[in-house]
Amino acid sequence: MSPQGRTRLRLVLRDLSATSAFASIVLSGSVPAWALVAYLLALFTSLAGRRPLSTRPTFSVLLLLLTGLVLFGAAFRGLMDLIVAACVFAGLVTSHRMLSESTRGTDQQVQLTSLLMLAGGAALTGELWYGACLGAFAITSSLSLALGVLEPEGGSEEHFDVKPVMGRVGTGTAFAVAGAVAFFVLFPRLSWNIAARRQPPGLLGGTTGMSDSVRLGGAGDIKSNPRVVARVRLSPDPGVDNLDAYFPGRSFDVFDGREWKGSGVAKRPRQLVSFKRPTRKTVSQNIELLPAYGSRTLIALEHPIGFNNVTAVGSAGSARTPVVEVADEEVRVELPGNGYTYTALSDPDATLDALEDPSRYDALPSELDPRIGQLAAHVLNGEARPLQAALLLQKYLQRDFTYTLELEGSPADPLAEFLFVRKSGHCEHFATALTVLLRSQGFAARVTAGFFGGERIGSAYVLRAGDAHAWTQVFVPGQGWVTVDATPEAGRQNQPARVLAWLTSMYERLEDLWRARVVDYSFQDQLQFAQQLVRPPQSATKSEEVTAPLPGAAPVAAAAVTAVVVYVVVQRLGRKRRAGDYRRNKASGFLDQIEARLSRAGIVRLPGEAIEELTLRLTDGAHPMAPALAKATRAYLGARFGGASLSADEQARLLAALTPPRVG
Amino acid sequence: MSFWKRLRARWRAPRGLKFTRSGRTFFVVTIGIGLGALNTGNNLLYLVLGLLLSLIVVSGVLSEYCVRDVKVRRLLPDAAHAAEPFAMRYELQRERGLGFALSIRELAPGLTGEAFVAVVRAGEPTIVRAQLTAARRGPYPLAELEVSTLFPFGLFAKTRRLELPETLLVFPRRGFACVEPPESGGAPAGDGGNPRRRDGTGDLLGLRELSHGEDARRVHWLKSATYGRLLRVEREREERRQFVLSLAERLEGEALETRCEELAALARRLLDRGHEVGLDTGGHRIRPGGGPGHERRVLSALAWVGFER
Repeated sequence: MSPQGRTRLRLVLRDLSATSAFASIVLSGSVPAWALVAYLLALFTSLAGRRPLSTRPTFSVLLLLLTGLVLFGAAFRGLMDLIVAACVFAGLVTSHRMLSESTRGTDQQVQLTSLLMLAGGAALTGELWYGACLGAFAITSSLSLALGVLEPEGGSEEHFDVKPVMGRVGTGTAFAVAGAVAFFVLFPRLSWNIAARRQPPGLLGGTTGMSDSVRLGGAGDIKSNPRVVARVRLSPDPGVDNLDAYFPGRSFDVFDGREWKGSGVAKRPRQLVSFKRPTRKTVSQNIELLPAYGSRTLIALEHPIGFNNVTAVGSAGSARTPVVEVADEEVRVELPGNGYTYTALSDPDATLDALEDPSRYDALPSELDPRIGQLAAHVLNGEARPLQAALLLQKYLQRDFTYTLELEGSPADPLAEFLFVRKSGHCEHFATALTVLLRSQGFAARVTAGFFGGERIGSAYVLRAGDAHAWTQVFVPGQGWVTVDATPEAGRQNQPARVLAWLTSMYERLEDLWRARVVDYSFQDQLQFAQQLVRPPQSATKSEEVTAPLPGAAPVAAAAVTAVVVYVVVQRLGRKRRAGDYRRNKASGFLDQIEARLSRAGIVRLPGEAIEELTLRLTDGAHPMAPALAKATRAYLGARFGGASLSADEQARLLAALTPPRVG
Repeated sequence: MSFWKRLRARWRAPRGLKFTRSGRTFFVVTIGIGLGALNTGNNLLYLVLGLLLSLIVVSGVLSEYCVRDVKVRRLLPDAAHAAEPFAMRYELQRERGLGFALSIRELAPGLTGEAFVAVVRAGEPTIVRAQLTAARRGPYPLAELEVSTLFPFGLFAKTRRLELPETLLVFPRRGFACVEPPESGGAPAGDGGNPRRRDGTGDLLGLRELSHGEDARRVHWLKSATYGRLLRVEREREERRQFVLSLAERLEGEALETRCEELAALARRLLDRGHEVGLDTGGHRIRPGGGPGHERRVLSALAWVGFER
């Protein structure tokens, strides 16, 4: 490869390594948009081979320092996180160096500032993509640095193949990554992860759609969104692959004909919310609401009886946060955060004898289409029991109505449109229809929004944005709120494209592995690992172990023969290669043999004397070996520097002539 | 070699390892990340720390591969003058594997400069050139040289010392102007001393019969065969003078250096003009002569003055 080609490759690799490091902090979502734009501009300018700052070093450095002062001033005044400010400054320094004149020193500065960004990224994010950025940085920066050291300070005009360099450094980097993993696993964790951060949802924003109201109309785009918004660990663990459970978040009691709203009153913030005492059947849930969740409403399995240990995780770290209970409506977090973790307790057998304010749950909109009440009465045919009535209406809706996400237009009365015209809709239409039909017959009912689903990935169940759902809860005296879901089963869970679902599932598995094995790796895990090494888990029964047959003599013999064959082949190949090396080096080898002959004859080269000078000296002194030595020297010089051929026979002949004279 | 030198050589580490400037910064950053990981318990920082430490170890292993199997042969220059760069060549050879970014440096004090080669392949001797500069004239005992590499990341310079005993003779400094010395007192001896003889190497003057005892190398064989008797060629003899340059015995230090440089410049100038030059350094005497070989003998003698022991 030509020197220009090598330089170009080195700079591209350098820029890619810097970009990997910068991406690791961009992942956190904390980088201001202007810094991102500035870096991208610098990257593309550098990739285009332009170095505009090489002509204005002083001005650009002053500008950089000024930007640094502004950034750290903002951090000092609390307008920006200090780590984010430091990372952004490192990114700007990297951009500056990328646009400056390219030298080995500049390259190394880019790598070092990139390293600082990578360390900052480790503090700002814990996502799987960070691992990808780290790997990409390790490979590209290693190759770039290696290509840099191959060039002498003053530059070089030498052409050579860089593939061997790439191969050697690539292998070395692979070993370095393996070493990093070994260090990571074995180095004792003496402290806890006290600086965990959760990045903001990024450019896509929160996708859950958990808002203050449920408005009928519009397409249900969210059902095809596979983004994971929550992870739930259950205790006791049901161990099933698909949980198919309801996770209510918020209930709505007031319907105005188009929109559901809540009328609950918020209580004062508390560190924990407890409705009832736990029982044996209480299910504990460690829930993590991810940045994509995009709401402060807490979710839990049906019949939640308590929420505690609520922690808001933000860009500046994690902090316990109080929660606010809105009576019969929702429990939400007081302080904003990018994500939340908490423990929820749910009791499937929890009962409620009577409602505090029943009038909240049977009110109807003032301009309700009269056909709705008639329809309900017709379907119920005098059924007075709330649960049976709800089930009858559910059966009617699931039989005569279809589920669709493709809804066009914005009708004036969306409920009547759904019930009497379109006869198709999504979960909000079904839930609203069932609730209003029940209320029209005097039953207390409400619409609840939350999630339905739970796909097992690793040890946790994940909830996706597409699992967002709305359903009806009917009040049954003595039992409390009972869920009756009118939406056809096929429309309850998320419905992404098959390939997308597979990809997101794979990603989630990797992400889960990353979180379990890397981000949350602890001293406890190290102890377990050590125990497994000392005392491996017994998968087989004792009797099986005892009776397990030892390998017979034949496999051992075969292994031994194979080992011997491999050894012999390797030895022969090595010998052949060494012989080949010698052939390529015949001139130098020939000189060594000449010197050995001369040495045996007692002729020693003087310090600093070349072979041709020795030949002249012997010729001047009329040494008897001089003529033979002159021929051999001429042949050596011709082969070594003149490109002349020197066969093995000729070498042997010339060496044979170099015999010491016989005395007497 | 003295006892202490031998002891020191025995106890010396087989390899030298030195931080480069960026290597120092890398090390400081690694320490900082390590402290950050210990302080916060952030697992990703542990991962980065592990990667950086592994890169240091890999750097050491790969650089060892580069310098371990390399053989060096020194090819001394034809002429090296003090205080001016001269080309020293090295033949590098490996039996197996590849060597990258190798620098070769002489460890003799007073010699500066190094050679660099990007790639050395197995079985392919590679000649590299170093632009060395010697501070003074005289013999330089080249006992050891240093092969080092910055490969793979430029963070550390791994160095291996190779024993390669040889002597480099550096001629006196060039570039001195001096007055021409007086002609030697002694008359030129033999045939070559008589300017009137027609036995020079200049233009052809004629042919004559070869007298008894005359040099047979002057015979013109073609004409002799034509005329049936031995004829010799007579050529015009160029004006040549003999000079014997002498060096006072008692000179030392700067005066000696200056005188050596003057004599070297004089010898070169006189020889260039076709004169014959001899040298008398007190303990050593060179008879007047001419030609490039003689110039080398004179310069070598001047280089050795003061270093005979």
